[in-house]
Amino acid sequence: MNEAALVLEQVRTPMAGGPHALDVDLRIAAGEFVALVGPSRSGKSLMIELAAGLVRPEAGRVVLLGHEWDDTQETEQTPIRLRVGTVLQQPGLLSNMTLFQNVLLPLRYHHGAMPERSREQAVMAQLERLGVAPMRDRFPDELNHGEVRRAAIARALILDPEVLLLDDPVAGLDAEMVLALKACIEARRAHHPLTVVAALRNFSPFIEAADRLVVLQDGRVVVDGARHAVAGAVPEMLRKYVE
Amino acid sequence: MPHEKDGVQRMIEWVGRKTIAGYTYLAALATLVTQAVLDLLLPTRQGRGETRRVLVRQILFTGVDALPVTTVIALLLGIIIVTQAGTQLPRLGAGGLVGSIIVVTVIRELGPLITAFIVVGRSGTAIATELGNMSVTREVVALRLMGISISRFVIMPRMVGMVLSMLCLTLYFDVVAVLGGYLIAAAQLTIPFYAFVESITKALSTTDVLMTAIKGLSFGSAVAAICCYHGLAVQSSFTEVPQQTTRAMINSFVLCLLIDVVVTVPLYL
Repeated sequence: MNEAALVLEQVRTPMAGGPHALDVDLRIAAGEFVALVGPSRSGKSLMIELAAGLVRPEAGRVVLLGHEWDDTQETEQTPIRLRVGTVLQQPGLLSNMTLFQNVLLPLRYHHGAMPERSREQAVMAQLERLGVAPMRDRFPDELNHGEVRRAAIARALILDPEVLLLDDPVAGLDAEMVLALKACIEARRAHHPLTVVAALRNFSPFIEAADRLVVLQDGRVVVDGARHAVAGAVPEMLRKYVE
Repeated sequence: MPHEKDGVQRMIEWVGRKTIAGYTYLAALATLVTQAVLDLLLPTRQGRGETRRVLVRQILFTGVDALPVTTVIALLLGIIIVTQAGTQLPRLGAGGLVGSIIVVTVIRELGPLITAFIVVGRSGTAIATELGNMSVTREVVALRLMGISISRFVIMPRMVGMVLSMLCLTLYFDVVAVLGGYLIAAAQLTIPFYAFVESITKALSTTDVLMTAIKGLSFGSAVAAICCYHGLAVQSSFTEVPQQTTRAMINSFVLCLLIDVVVTVPLYL
């Protein structure tokens, strides 16, 4: 079995605004693409935030790339963060920077010695792959939701992460862009080992790129397994999220 | 009697809670300042260029852009003070004390304080609002997720920029206010330039200049720490932004006055 990229071991933590608590025990192997699906308030976003170390669980432990978040001080988190790309529901593009500058920022910050020209080429290549190169000089306020999301994914991928955590990556994307994003992630995985954990709140062709489906409801995993194998095991009321 | 006891007890508890909250707040501000100093003194290769860009932007906004308003206020204040001093003091036979009045009121006290108030009103509130909005739109979280240090990239350059700007603006304010005083003295009071300068240099000591600089540095650190703290204290709603900005402004004014008292009283009493 592959080394685990992400482990949520007997994690239990309250979910804001609901009566349920997230209660999961999950192990995601390195290189796996896992789609977390389920209705709103089922705990998908909370799992992404737990994996990203933004939320500490009430019980249990979260281990990402061999590092347990509870044991890691804020100042020691940078080396781990550089190996993980995260896009939350609110992507958080810096509003005073253009789309190009937003994607360039992590490169400039962490790879100061890299020639500026190489950095700019890397950013443009990333923007082109995600179809947002023509908007490079626009500010986030001038972009639509789909463009902002794609720019945030470009920013998350710019440092060549080993793990990609995506919360609702297809929100605001048209059908063509969903397929382009899927192709981009697949191409990336074909060339570099990349673990992807994506929370999806609606059915989308993007799900077809996933190796494994984890269906959540009320904070609990109701179905977990290889995408093709478990499709039939999904309860009737949750089928609309996976088919 | 039991009611009275309860009331006294409640009051003691209230005072205790407020005292603890006050100390906690000051400790949080001290932590921010200490961390910024450490980030400044122990720079890493990471993010040096980006941090410098933020610092330069902060100096331009807080220092350079504030020059026109500082000039106007300083000039007017100098004119007002010398007009009052120049018309009242001769009646008491103390016309030669104009220089002392300028030094005591402008250079020692009003210069640093009014500069601090200008900086709080212009830049402090802008920092609190900017960081508040960044918190709500999750830009701060996004920076953390990219491994970008909030202290090094967001707080330190703003703090250093504000401290340097405050220091320079304070000294600039003093010079312009003295110049304003001279203009009115020359025009209305017909005090010769050399006499005016002489009276000021006689009254001005190295301690005065040093204290002005110390006040500029302390006020700058305090205002920057308070405004960064309140900006980053915003959680998830845009309605929190003006609330935290107002708190930042009021607390900045109060802390600047407190620092002024702490610095001034032991030295001049």
